[in-house]
Amino acid sequence: MNEKIIKQLAYSRKQLAEKLNHSSDIRKEAEEGGCGVVGFCCSEPVPGKHIYEPSRQMHNRGNGKGGGIAAVGFVPEQLGVSREVLDNHYMLHVAFLDDKAQPEIEKQFITPNFDVAKSTMLDKVDDWKTVPGLEVKPPDVCRYFVRVKPKVLDAFIAKNNLQALDRSEAEDEFINQNSFSLNQKYYASLGEKRAFVLSHGHNIMILKVVGFAEAIVKYYKIEDLCAYEWIAHQRFPTKGRVWHPGGAHPFAAIDMALVHNGDFANYHSVTEYLKQRNIYPQFLTDTEVSALLFDLLSRTYHYPLEYIIEALAPTTELDFDRLDEEKQKIYRDIQATHIHGSPDGPWFFIIARNIARERKFQLMGITDTAMLRPQVFAFCDGEVQVGLICSEKQAIDATLHSLSKDDKRICPVADKYWNARGGSYNDGGSFIFNLEKDSAGKMRISCTDKFGRAVPMPTAAEPCDFSQEPSLSSEDEEEIQTLIGERFVSGNGMAIFEMIRDVVHEWTFDEFRFACRQIVNQAKDPHKATLAIEVLTLLNDRRYSTGSKKRSHILHIVRGELNLLFWNIPNIGVKNSYDGNHRLIDFETRGNLREPQANETTLVIDAANFAPEGDDCDAALLVDAYIKGWRRFISFNCIGQRFIGCGLGPDTDDVTIDVYGSSGDYLASGIDGLTINVHGNAQDQVGQITKRGKLVIHGDVGQTFMYGAKGASVYVLGNAAGRPLINSVGRPKVVINGTCLDFLAESFMAGDPHNGGGFVILNGVKFDDEGKLVALQQPYPGSNIFSLASGGAIFVRDPNKTLVDQQLNGGFFAKVTDEDWELILPYLKENEQLFGITIEQLLTVNNERCEPTEVYRKVVPAIAAKVVSEETDDVEAELSEEPIVK
Amino acid sequence: MASFSVPEKTIKDILPENTLKTIVPQEEVTRAVKTAPSRYRNEIAKFIVHRNLNCKRCGKCAEVCQYGVHVLKPGYKYFAEPKNHLCIGPSCEKTGNFCVAKCPNGALQLKENPLFKALGDYRWPGDLILATWKMAETGDVPPAEYGYEYNCGNSGGGFDRLRFKFPDKPPVKIDADKIDTSISLNKRGDGRPEIKIDVPWYGGGMSFGSVSNVTQLSKARAAKAWNTFTCTGEGGYMERMRPYDDHVITQVATGLFGVREETIQRVPIVEFKYAQGAKPGLGGHLLGDKNTPAVAKMREAVVGISLFSPFPFHSVYSIEDHQKHLDWIKHINRRALISTKVSTPTDVDMVAVGSYSAGTHIVHIDGGYGGTGAAPDIAKKNIAMPIEYAIGRVHKFLADEGVRDKVTLIASGGIRSAHDVAKAIALGADGVVIGTVELVALGCVRCSRCESGRGCPRGIATTDPELAAKMNIEWGTQRIINLYNAWRKVLVGILQRFGMKSVTELRGRTDLLMHLDYTNDVGAKK
Repeated sequence: MNEKIIKQLAYSRKQLAEKLNHSSDIRKEAEEGGCGVVGFCCSEPVPGKHIYEPSRQMHNRGNGKGGGIAAVGFVPEQLGVSREVLDNHYMLHVAFLDDKAQPEIEKQFITPNFDVAKSTMLDKVDDWKTVPGLEVKPPDVCRYFVRVKPKVLDAFIAKNNLQALDRSEAEDEFINQNSFSLNQKYYASLGEKRAFVLSHGHNIMILKVVGFAEAIVKYYKIEDLCAYEWIAHQRFPTKGRVWHPGGAHPFAAIDMALVHNGDFANYHSVTEYLKQRNIYPQFLTDTEVSALLFDLLSRTYHYPLEYIIEALAPTTELDFDRLDEEKQKIYRDIQATHIHGSPDGPWFFIIARNIARERKFQLMGITDTAMLRPQVFAFCDGEVQVGLICSEKQAIDATLHSLSKDDKRICPVADKYWNARGGSYNDGGSFIFNLEKDSAGKMRISCTDKFGRAVPMPTAAEPCDFSQEPSLSSEDEEEIQTLIGERFVSGNGMAIFEMIRDVVHEWTFDEFRFACRQIVNQAKDPHKATLAIEVLTLLNDRRYSTGSKKRSHILHIVRGELNLLFWNIPNIGVKNSYDGNHRLIDFETRGNLREPQANETTLVIDAANFAPEGDDCDAALLVDAYIKGWRRFISFNCIGQRFIGCGLGPDTDDVTIDVYGSSGDYLASGIDGLTINVHGNAQDQVGQITKRGKLVIHGDVGQTFMYGAKGASVYVLGNAAGRPLINSVGRPKVVINGTCLDFLAESFMAGDPHNGGGFVILNGVKFDDEGKLVALQQPYPGSNIFSLASGGAIFVRDPNKTLVDQQLNGGFFAKVTDEDWELILPYLKENEQLFGITIEQLLTVNNERCEPTEVYRKVVPAIAAKVVSEETDDVEAELSEEPIVK
Repeated sequence: MASFSVPEKTIKDILPENTLKTIVPQEEVTRAVKTAPSRYRNEIAKFIVHRNLNCKRCGKCAEVCQYGVHVLKPGYKYFAEPKNHLCIGPSCEKTGNFCVAKCPNGALQLKENPLFKALGDYRWPGDLILATWKMAETGDVPPAEYGYEYNCGNSGGGFDRLRFKFPDKPPVKIDADKIDTSISLNKRGDGRPEIKIDVPWYGGGMSFGSVSNVTQLSKARAAKAWNTFTCTGEGGYMERMRPYDDHVITQVATGLFGVREETIQRVPIVEFKYAQGAKPGLGGHLLGDKNTPAVAKMREAVVGISLFSPFPFHSVYSIEDHQKHLDWIKHINRRALISTKVSTPTDVDMVAVGSYSAGTHIVHIDGGYGGTGAAPDIAKKNIAMPIEYAIGRVHKFLADEGVRDKVTLIASGGIRSAHDVAKAIALGADGVVIGTVELVALGCVRCSRCESGRGCPRGIATTDPELAAKMNIEWGTQRIINLYNAWRKVLVGILQRFGMKSVTELRGRTDLLMHLDYTNDVGAKK
């Protein structure tokens, strides 16, 4: 974009603001928190009801004082317009807080300026009070399909000297300024707020309410309205009394909608930066500012997406150094120019865009450089593709679950889940789902990172047809039946698993489904239930080759059968004689909780209908059951319930909890003796302040894992997100087989590892699509590891010496000794038992078996610490348990 | 499903007990006032009486002195060194009992103690320190003759510029024993215990590490005696505090030092410390000197290393994170009340309302006038909103939002006297948290060297076992009990003058206050 036009555009905005007497005061309307965000796109238009379920599940990330949704890419027939109108006209959604404002506004801002192809009031429920989750009556919304009248546009271009600007861009700008004027007159400048523009752009809609986001779907009756992209936001403004939804997310700019999870520390600086460019916020929240910022960089400066993201979340530290020289030069210029407009503090954006000129939709997530907010991406490939971006994995699960109920081609288990590393050289902290027509004219999704590189997806592509029951020939059925039946006599779970594992890649989906069902049937014999659970659990946890079959579909089968098995267990609410070890309890029968009777050892909790927190949560039931004498627990069907394993107090060495489904935040935070196995990914704040016990995670784990932990042995199959083991003390022993986003073990204070202190083993490996263990390119890509640590040690599997001094800030590399190897070996052996990651594999580099001292590197604190062995008897006396009153 | 019998009871009802707390026997501590004189033979005094060799031991001085400065012990030939701290100074000339004037031999001289001039600072003038010591010794306010100014400091701002507008005569006469000074800490009505404390203050968080175990235990026992609370601060919960569990608040602060499920389950109140008014945005820090083997063991960290608590919580970057954080602690301890301690940024009102909606029982706003010597000078008083503005602002905002009566508002940061307590309440707080003043009661001279391990000359804010042994627990307990007694008397006196039966009537009565900067009413009474 040439400089002259940019100046001309900026000047036109300045004149407008002056004309409208816009106050240039910089202030903020209300504080708000992180909130819950979800966004997904689908290669076929899907109805609005699918944004309902994830929104409902994110209730506890909002407070019902602000919710919003946006949709991009509609079906013309549903809106009562032609394809031509939908593609080329602007969709203008105006919210009327005062019904009387509409004729005035149309007279001033619509009729004189636009050719209106269609205008409709959005349908709504008659009595808003019948819709749960609404706090005040939502505004009436009118949708206009408009084009700027050619004469009006000509005059606009002439007046502002925008002749050099592409005519369609001038039209964009006219729409933009028209909305600005409308808001200024009817919203921003008035004490009484009467109306405002919700969204303006091609093929895009934003709706918001004072209430929970899902109420929008019901109130505006858009359950069946189909679109390619949906985003939703639950807001948690701190101000209690909110009477209109103007401040709710998403915020609009031309052809885009943005939701934000976080809170800038430099709102004033960013606003000042925008002001210098003649852009003035009207709704006074940092989300609006974010949308304006993105719009400025893209529509005014015409930056490519990569540069926009760089301007928002700059690449810093070691990551910057790792960029190639040319990129460094450009990025340095971008940062020098735009650093004042770069939001500082915790933020995560989800943006839905329509790039109308390219007939392309985009859904993207961008995280801040410090990765202070949680974020998860997921992708489902197949005949129907789904790309998802959420603040928590549970919202992804809820979305996919909802979608798959309607369309069996969509599997509730995604093919890939991952996090972005903010401001990094490898993914840039952002991923973009692009929806565009392929050569056959079909909409397809591709996923790229900030640098435009495609994100690799699993290669196995054969889907399972879940709409059909499995059908096998009777011989095949008999063969599998015998195979399973015989193995169940001997009773070795690992052997049965290994037998199945070795044939899965040859089996058809139907054979696999039949085999799993056989295992479920075996469990009907109460004495075989434990074994059956073990086998299915191994099939769920372990990585193995599935041949050409999609692993996500295999997992969906296993999880479905596991649930079936659990549901078959007699419910505690039913009085019957049963000599098995398991008892099922669910939300309906929770009142029947009692002491374990007869052979009962294990309480199986169907978590689905329990509240995520509070007195009615499953974690509270678990504590009650513990008080009543239960010691083994299976918690399944979780949909993000929090605090599992918390609150049992000390000395719980005899307690074991197995968790299936989408486990929630704060899992195992505070355990003191007990064992928790998470059979899948875990979320955020897991293992905080743990004192003792064992935690096994058969997947990835989220933010601030083991923050302030004092001890416990912990094993993670996959990756940890940002800031794991921060401020840990005492004696935690942790094996992370994948990697971390950044800030691993900052301020680690865990004594002397050779004297009872703690340490972390970071293996930097992963399983490939075939279930083979492979080393990551770098075991630890982050810029900071073990910063400011004063105790403990980190052992990193880094045979190629990719870790460099620059990544250390208070630590230094020390030689791995035989003593060290003896120290960590038992934990690696346990790791082998749990995940099948053998020490042999870990010590093999480029097909060559190496010495541990060559493969592992050790980072120790730079502070030559005096160690706890200095303790004297006085210490004991000083802290003695006897109260001494002199 | 329909065939199940669903009992109507909730899970809570069918629990044998609602908590997993391990019970330890609770020790009784009596509230009775007992004299607890200074630990030092020669307590710091305002005046010095010097006796020279002209003394003929006639005994005239002992005869005229009403305060026991001059003592000739039976069987002794010479007078003992004058007890300077009992001397009221030259003002007894008015009553004709001035020993210097009465001495027939001119053997006595009186001068101001140069040490007194060096004592204290504008916020905590020497007068206030000596008066606090007197209160801690006797359980009563110092006699008027001493002329100590013990209601205010001399800082030229904050509470020191606020005065009560007392009526000339109380509107109604109320007996002192009919006046209720208790406040409720749970106003949510959420089924959690309705805890009341007998005086509208409780002890602030000082960790084992920042102060000695003797100091912590003294505070806890005094809290027990007065049916109020003390707070462990961040840094663990000594086993030796268990007999006072029911009067202990434990802190969950950003370093999570010493925080375990078990310690959370022990107590009736858990405090989330997001920030300290004395050093907002700086987190917490315990310098290496104070991180002795005992402290390191308690915090499970490495001896001699400075321990930093980050700012903020790594797991809490937003209000819904805060709610989740509260829910977590509420889950671990299902009978606990939750207090949220924050400093006073410009949007403190929003923070308070946000905390309320996140489920807190107590909003604790901590202003910048407080802080021991361990808080950096550059931070103290220099960051955040002055507490006297913050209280009013939060009180009003909570009221406007319609939730003022569902949450307890506690203010802290520089509460030095019973008058400060009353002023904070009149501004809109329900009660206050005190910190430094308890240390002064234990003999603190405000030398501001709290950050250094062997720095505390009085063995209060130290973790050095030898220094800590300079004080014993019973004495420490009694000093604080006495102080509370004196404070309560002053507070009751204030309420009597306003004709109020309960301290809760004083809340939010800004109409009873005046600010000296904005009034011409020079006749303002103290």
